[in-house]
Amino acid sequence: MHIQKGFQWRAVGKNWLLIAAFILLIVFPFLVGVLTNTDPTARRGLSVYWQGIMIELLIYGILTMSYNILFGFTGVISFGHALFFGLAGYLMGAFQRAPELADGGLLIGILVALVVCAGIGLLIGVATLRLKGVYFAIFTLAIAEMVYIFLSRYEYTGSEDGFTLAALPEWFDPTRSRLTFYYIAAAIFVFTFILIRRLMESPTGAVLLAIRENENRARTIGFNTLTYKLMAIVLAGILAGVAGILFTLLNKKVGPEMLGTAYTVNPLLMTIIGGAGTLLGPAVGAMGLRLLELQLRNVQIPLGDVVLDIGRILPIILGAIFILVVIVFPYGIVGTFTRWRLNQRARHAERLAKQAEALKSVS
Amino acid sequence: MPEPVLEVRNIHTYIGQFHILEGVSLSVPKGSITVLLGRNGAGKTTTLKSIMGITPPRVGEVIFDGQKLAGKASFNIAKLGIGYVPEHRAIFRDLTVAENLQIAERRKGDLAARQDFIFELFPDLKKLYKLAGGNLSGGQQQMLAIARALVPENRLLLIDEPSEGLAPVIIEALMNAIRRLSESATVLLVEQNFRMASRLADRYVIIDDGASVQSGMMADLVNDQATIQRYLGAA
Amino acid sequence: MTGIFSRDKRSSLIAIGVILIGLLLFSLLTTGNLNLIGTEGFGAYASTINAGDFSITLLSGLLRGMLLFLVASGLSIVFGLMDVLNFAQGGYFMIGAYIAYEVHHTPAIIAAVPDGNLRFLLGVLLAIAVGGALGAVLERGLLRPLYARPLFQLVITFGVSILLLEAVKLIWGVSPRSWSTVFGLNEGSFQLFGQQFSVYRLFVIAVGFALIIAVALLLQRTRIGIVIRAGVQDSQMVEALGINVRAVFTAVFTLGCALATLGGAVAAPFLGASLGLSTEFLLGAVAAVVLGGLGSYEGTAIASLLVGITQAVIAKFGVQYLNQPVWESLSPMILLALVLLLRPSGLFGKE
Repeated sequence: MHIQKGFQWRAVGKNWLLIAAFILLIVFPFLVGVLTNTDPTARRGLSVYWQGIMIELLIYGILTMSYNILFGFTGVISFGHALFFGLAGYLMGAFQRAPELADGGLLIGILVALVVCAGIGLLIGVATLRLKGVYFAIFTLAIAEMVYIFLSRYEYTGSEDGFTLAALPEWFDPTRSRLTFYYIAAAIFVFTFILIRRLMESPTGAVLLAIRENENRARTIGFNTLTYKLMAIVLAGILAGVAGILFTLLNKKVGPEMLGTAYTVNPLLMTIIGGAGTLLGPAVGAMGLRLLELQLRNVQIPLGDVVLDIGRILPIILGAIFILVVIVFPYGIVGTFTRWRLNQRARHAERLAKQAEALKSVS
Repeated sequence: MPEPVLEVRNIHTYIGQFHILEGVSLSVPKGSITVLLGRNGAGKTTTLKSIMGITPPRVGEVIFDGQKLAGKASFNIAKLGIGYVPEHRAIFRDLTVAENLQIAERRKGDLAARQDFIFELFPDLKKLYKLAGGNLSGGQQQMLAIARALVPENRLLLIDEPSEGLAPVIIEALMNAIRRLSESATVLLVEQNFRMASRLADRYVIIDDGASVQSGMMADLVNDQATIQRYLGAA
Repeated sequence: MTGIFSRDKRSSLIAIGVILIGLLLFSLLTTGNLNLIGTEGFGAYASTINAGDFSITLLSGLLRGMLLFLVASGLSIVFGLMDVLNFAQGGYFMIGAYIAYEVHHTPAIIAAVPDGNLRFLLGVLLAIAVGGALGAVLERGLLRPLYARPLFQLVITFGVSILLLEAVKLIWGVSPRSWSTVFGLNEGSFQLFGQQFSVYRLFVIAVGFALIIAVALLLQRTRIGIVIRAGVQDSQMVEALGINVRAVFTAVFTLGCALATLGGAVAAPFLGASLGLSTEFLLGAVAAVVLGGLGSYEGTAIASLLVGITQAVIAKFGVQYLNQPVWESLSPMILLALVLLLRPSGLFGKE
């Protein structure tokens, strides 16, 4: 009786946290507006700056959540996730700025980009997901590198500079209507989260987890694990593509760095730090780490004559954090917290059971 | 009863989350051939692996020659003088017979010192010396696996299912060999083949559902049809 | 397995046959009689190629194959023994190149050791030492705690490869370094059908051959070699025989990394030092490892040469017929993709 009541309260509490986060996401621009005393709808000022940061965090969140579908939930490692992110940006951009398509180019570009992401995911999956996991990792790395070299060397993709987008419609332009763009990004972020949560609560999600734990057993039970893995990579590819499209729109340009290892390593790092295989972990990891990165980027510590430029050694610091987390903290922030709470709960239940037994023996 | 060379006291072993051994105790007297009996999946192989430290027990003690083995790495346990002949004849298929024996040397000259004894036990191996292990027949592979455990001076041999999948003639030869080598070493054997076990072993330990349930002299067990029926099925 | 190729002679013959057919095709392309596109395109180029070009391409391929072997041998043995594909192996090659470059170009070191050859040797030795030390640290400190979690082992080697890249970026920046100092060994060249080829490159090919044989002897003739080959099949059983397999893991991993940095160091005089070496040689070496059949040393050695020569042919083809030097950089990925798609069990694979 006691236990059940406590449990329900906790369930409410858990959702309450999500609801609070959701509300925070909605009021964020106005909250910042009040705190910095600037107009959230203006084109300049601190409000707009913070909205920009938040949009970037949301994009990283989407990218990392998409990576978590593969690494966290299905146990498949991709070392070429940037491929989807960057390629979607390039494709969308190419159509968007094609003069023949005018305003329709944007929509066509988005559709083409997402279809191609799904298709490439499917092709890579069909080619290598039958093999040992390590082949999939190396294959994705090779394909991402190949596309990266192509895009960075050829003139019609702008070589190393990439290219800028054509003018966006005013209501959609992240510079001129940043607040609108913020809500679009926030909506997509929330949609992605709910989609993944629904997926993982469904029987399909259970099969993905079973594959992660022991693929052979999942196959013996009678699941066609290849189909499920393909589904996971296609979904992850599409969502990474969505993140790439948003990123391109936000910056109004694409460049080959979007296919570079940074956009593979960051989601990997953020997934593990936040908690691989948890629902909230990747979002928490992505936002937390990106925020930390932005804060540390301009920090300089004077050490006698020399100045320690944290921004320069930031990648090394992040790499060290990464290795440390993998070895001593493999469940990440959310994963560790969940385990701790489960432990607490188990201990609590044990204590109650002991009390009950003590009472019983007294009476 | 002579002093035990090996004592296993109430060990519990987990593989992943699975609780495989739930209290195995046994004692192997010096110079004896002791056989572990029990149904498939009862935990006989895991008992040998727990002694070897391959699947270290989480609870309980293993004592070899008065020394506790807890916390010791598998290779350090072997170095104390335990030879392990795993099931399925785990010889190195890409290595020659010679190399399969050389690798078992703990000190230089081990093989040279024991070579004559090994070839006397298993004359076949001498002819096959330069051949890759994978090209040997099942029986020859089993002989090689046992021979490999004889290269260093081991005081205890753990032999897992030597007769598995072999023809009766070869089983007979193996039995003779094991009897011969038990003159210089103590043997703990896992054997499904009750006929072979009953003719070879002095002592038995029955393992059922991950726990040791009964032990004693083999001579007594042979006449105890009720126990045989209960734990080993039809004999 | 008594001789180097005795295990699977037929597969070896097939591989060598494939090499020969490839070379034949290439030499057909270079006769100048072939005209596929017309005098404007293909044929016009083809007629300008000659026996000199052909032999130079072959030598370049052999050279690249030797460098790939230095990366791939460690990759392959470690994969067979420990079931870890070391994604940082290419990074070790890159580090080797930077170290050799730095030792040869730093004014203070030039002043201390004016002799170019000696300085080069110093750089190579330092590279080997650093590679071995970093390899030992990676295996002992980072991989050992993770043997129960193979997914994370993969992730950590990838993380280390990124860390090596970032460290190089921090120290040397992003722009590539090309070798600009002279040393005696690197100066001579010889004529082959009217084409120049440097003696130094030939020397590297010779060193590569020597190392292929040295490692083969190590594996065949020494006790540690027997332990390694046995461990590739069943490391648990090796340990049950009383052998400290973990120590062997560390030794093999260290040796593999040292070979990779050695490769980078000897390549620096003609490849220079750049960030791109890391991925390029990792992917090329993985292609060789997969093609050779996982864990098979002989397979890896043959496949490395095969991949190297194919890369040289692709590069030559790209420059000559497509006027696109990019093909050289793309060739490792193309080959790797092809190998994984067509023959994931390798030329010598049993499945």
